Amino acid sequence: MPRPRSLQLIRPAPLTDPPEPGSAAERSLLVRAAQQGDVRAFAALVDAYYARCLRFALHMLSNRGDAEEAVQDTFVRVYRALPGYEERESFEPWLFRILANRCRSAGARERRRSELVEFGDVPDLPSERRHDDAIAWREEIGRALATLPVEQREAFLMRHVEDLTYDDMAIATGAGISALKMRVKRACDALKQLLTEDHGARRD
Amino acid sequence: MHDETDETIVRIAAALRPLPDVDPAEKARVLVAVAAERERSRVAGIRAARRWRRVGALGALAAAGLVAAVWLRGRDVAAPTVAATSATTTAVGSTAPSSGVGARLARDDEGMKLKTVQLVLRAPAARTVSVVGDFNGWDAHANTMTRDPASGLWSHNVALRPGRHVYAFVVDDRVWLRDPRSPEATDEDFGRPGSVLLVGQP
Repeated sequence: MPRPRSLQLIRPAPLTDPPEPGSAAERSLLVRAAQQGDVRAFAALVDAYYARCLRFALHMLSNRGDAEEAVQDTFVRVYRALPGYEERESFEPWLFRILANRCRSAGARERRRSELVEFGDVPDLPSERRHDDAIAWREEIGRALATLPVEQREAFLMRHVEDLTYDDMAIATGAGISALKMRVKRACDALKQLLTEDHGARRD
Repeated sequence: MHDETDETIVRIAAALRPLPDVDPAEKARVLVAVAAERERSRVAGIRAARRWRRVGALGALAAAGLVAAVWLRGRDVAAPTVAATSATTTAVGSTAPSSGVGARLARDDEGMKLKTVQLVLRAPAARTVSVVGDFNGWDAHANTMTRDPASGLWSHNVALRPGRHVYAFVVDDRVWLRDPRSPEATDEDFGRPGSVLLVGQP
């Protein structure tokens, strides 16, 4: 068995101003180092983006296990695809493209499974604990989000939660900008209707 | 450049924005999966190169009218491996070491001579222990160890090709330990400790 590849730690060229931790410049250095085989840089990218990816996956899929699996799968695919990644694309929309695809596949599996559950199995009952208003409000939002078609939910989350620009969303979804604006608008209309109609009291 | 300034949408977005709590073990699992992926692609590359060498050899042999199969079998056994080293085999005996390795001879499906190495870890309080290493793609489910209730020793046999291997133990699916009885690997994988096992030519 050949000797395992030794760690190739890429030391970025010294800069006059070192990039701020967590800044776009630092991330871009990390991406470049990871691309050249620096496993520590890749681990730092996972560290930087894991929680955001999980947030998106949790809003796209209804259970944590599926969300974690989708995120893990995303990073494995990112690692596999890094050699072909070109720096003129931004990393974030590229990452979200892979993540959104993983969530779509997992969502399709989840739907098939829930169809089976309807016939006989007893799903987990919601816990008995008392919810405060903020938790109840988040749960209502979760239920409302789950009623949206996948592409509307995805577009809404990318735009309003992940703060991606429409240009970045076009890279992430492969859809055109006008189509994306339409999806976001439809999602907003549906959410407003669902969340203000049933619970008029919440409309401050 | 928010095109939606509707108050309800702003409130919905604000409720969705807090980041979820993340257990560090989750991120660790991602890195283990990525390390496994890297190992898979490396092994696939080596296998592909070997297949191509074989295809090339077959063509040449067919042209020469020789009996290819015999030649290939010989070639496979003689497939080059990393420079032979003496194995750091520690016999697992009644002295019950806290960890260690023992070895015996075997052969793999490609005809390569292998050594079965017994890996041992003393971890009486552990619920599960598995071995991860370059030989199993760092898969924490591929080689689970068995516990001896009397001694609290966990052991497992792995069949390894001669050469240098890097491995570690995963305790209770989350704690990554290097083998305290073997030399420490200097080429840490994803910042995780590993031990070096040198398997000599049988």
